[in-house]
Amino acid sequence: MNKLKSFLGYAAAILSPLIVLVSFMGLDYLAEPFMTATGLEVSANFTGGEVVQTVDHGTYQAAIHRPVFDALIGERKTGFVQIDWAPLDALPALVEEEVDIDGDGQADMGLQVDVAGEETALTAYAPWVLEMEGTYRLPESLAVRVTLRNPNR
Amino acid sequence: MQGFLLGLANGTTCLTFCAPVLVPYLLGEGKGVRKNLLTLLLFLIGRLGGYMLFGLAAWATGSLLLGATAGQGVLLGLVYVGLAALLLVTALRRRAPVTGACALQTGTGALQRARRWPGAVPVGMGLLAGLKVCPPLLLAFAGAASSNSLWGSLTLFLTFFLGTSIYFLPISFLGAFRRVAPLRTIGQFSAAIVALYYLYAGVLLVVGGLQ
Amino acid sequence: MTTSARALSGPPRLGVWKGLLLWLPIALISALTPLQVLQSGEVGLFGLAALIAWAVFNTFFALIFITGKTHRFRAVLFILVAVALPLEFVPYMIETYGSMMLTEATMLSSGASFCPLTMPMILIPALFKRVVIFPGELLPSAAHGAFSVMFIVWVGSSLALGRGWCSWGCFYGGWDELFSRIRVRKRPLLRRIDRRWIYLPFAVLLAIVLLSALTYGPVYCEWLCPFKIVTEFQAPSSALAIFQIATFVSLFIGLVVVLPLLSRRRVQCGLFCPFGAMQSLLNKINIFEVRIDTEKCSKCQRCLRSCPTFSLDESSLESGKPLLTCTKCAACIDACPQGAIAYHIKGTRIGVRPNVARGLYLYPAMILMSFIGAGIFTSGLYRVLKLVATGSMI
Repeated sequence: MNKLKSFLGYAAAILSPLIVLVSFMGLDYLAEPFMTATGLEVSANFTGGEVVQTVDHGTYQAAIHRPVFDALIGERKTGFVQIDWAPLDALPALVEEEVDIDGDGQADMGLQVDVAGEETALTAYAPWVLEMEGTYRLPESLAVRVTLRNPNR
Repeated sequence: MQGFLLGLANGTTCLTFCAPVLVPYLLGEGKGVRKNLLTLLLFLIGRLGGYMLFGLAAWATGSLLLGATAGQGVLLGLVYVGLAALLLVTALRRRAPVTGACALQTGTGALQRARRWPGAVPVGMGLLAGLKVCPPLLLAFAGAASSNSLWGSLTLFLTFFLGTSIYFLPISFLGAFRRVAPLRTIGQFSAAIVALYYLYAGVLLVVGGLQ
Repeated sequence: MTTSARALSGPPRLGVWKGLLLWLPIALISALTPLQVLQSGEVGLFGLAALIAWAVFNTFFALIFITGKTHRFRAVLFILVAVALPLEFVPYMIETYGSMMLTEATMLSSGASFCPLTMPMILIPALFKRVVIFPGELLPSAAHGAFSVMFIVWVGSSLALGRGWCSWGCFYGGWDELFSRIRVRKRPLLRRIDRRWIYLPFAVLLAIVLLSALTYGPVYCEWLCPFKIVTEFQAPSSALAIFQIATFVSLFIGLVVVLPLLSRRRVQCGLFCPFGAMQSLLNKINIFEVRIDTEKCSKCQRCLRSCPTFSLDESSLESGKPLLTCTKCAACIDACPQGAIAYHIKGTRIGVRPNVARGLYLYPAMILMSFIGAGIFTSGLYRVLKLVATGSMI
């Protein structure tokens, strides 16, 4: 038994440098399969969630993301919705958008975005549209986040 | 049945809210499974007390508590600050030997007896945790507020409480680690850290509600 | 040398030739990095930095094998890596985002860099909801620190070294090490610290795991990480952000500078870091450990005084084992005049063939250090060379 434990100990010790080597040298081969196998994604609290609507304005498009109330269990009582406009260089000085978040055919809020100043005026039509969270210049788009109250809570 | 199913469906959310309070406390106490079950029972009794108060409030004021958003923020903030203070007391207190000279041991009034009662802290924590307006509680509140009778409102909250409490039972098995003395210290330290979070959240809510 | 004198001299020296022979595989493996750099056509300043880094690291690796002393040479490299990190990371941030401060826009475009310290917080949401609660890249790209890279490296190094990461891989701990080795007085001002404080890292770990699950965000990164001061932090665009900046700056000054200066110990590593606490738990499954041969031990307690992470106490001398928090830095091994302390492979007999165990431990440790540490040192040195050559690091 002692000999077996000793053998296994030395075997594991000899494997250790190989494990480290494989971890580093195999990064290019392991990283993508690992992400595909796990299906991991960055939290929607940071990415804004999936785009559920696209509005074509000719020279530019508005992408409306799903409302994000993500939590570990269930949903949070407040969250946000993100709207992006792209491409940046095709945006007019003032972007106006009527946004229907819940898909009932009625606008839930109106946005007026001063592109150069990165400021947005919000007009809330629905009671669960609370306030502006912020306006952000991303690498390829201008994004606005609006704080929402979770209508399901 | 509606309340019980609501509690079963949302009990994990309650656990998520209460575990940061309860887990460090149980670890800090360092007791066995049976004693932890007792502590858990006291905590749940406190929670039940909080829920019954909400049942009473729901019947008495209807949707007024939900509508007065500014007042709700200040109230919730004060609850958070109270919970933080209780957690800090738990984290910082040392287990001093009981002597005849200890002032707490003397006196015969009901208050002195209450203060000597070892269940004061878990019941207090449970009460304050129960008063927190967590999402499933608001659901239950909305249901209870529409009830015509006090009994209906209280029953809904009672069954809601029973449904959520099922998820708390496994926490008592933290007592299996009671002989590992460091776990008690870890529990006290983590209680203090979590207390700082609730203090910060509470102050933010109070300031936001007052503005 | 007489037997009694040899017994009092600490770890046995291998001698120059034996030492060089053992060092050779490490030299060849660590040469892969500069070779890759040169093969990619980088023969300018970056190639020069890679060659210098290889030479520096392998000089100390060779000395470790030849002299039989580990801690003093490991510490030098450990400190060099930590100092090099901001020299390479801050210019990268300025080149990429215009500032070392992260704006909200940067975070919305997943521009923050992962580091292994995020692992405790992201594990539960990743397991239950398949989301990573950190605003960074998942796949390797031109950006620094992708999640998949950090995760794979963390798993591999944890399996191989356990908490040995904290003395051989961590690119922050060298700051703690640096300030703990500066002698402001003849004797440390803080000689006794209440032993209960060694459990604080586990409490921080528990609290940040619970609070990160509750808030669905990286609480330690947002509030407590002292090393944001040498990497990236959120821009002071609100009162909250300013308060957070004040918090981590205070933690760095207190835990990384002042307390290590006063106590001559790695206070942040030993008494605060939650990632270290998690790695301590992983020590349970790691095959390597440090053991004390209680028959040789004379109870002089030099090891207790030398341990930088508070991982040895009187009970360790009785049981022959350091605490779970041991970072395998070899300070106690080098300090012991009886040669009673050594690296040990679990399952084998204590005191038998300690040089074999030492060699088998040093190989994965040095490979880890050469891939991570030498890589960071190369990039940092490149920036310094660029500054000297062109007048700018960017």
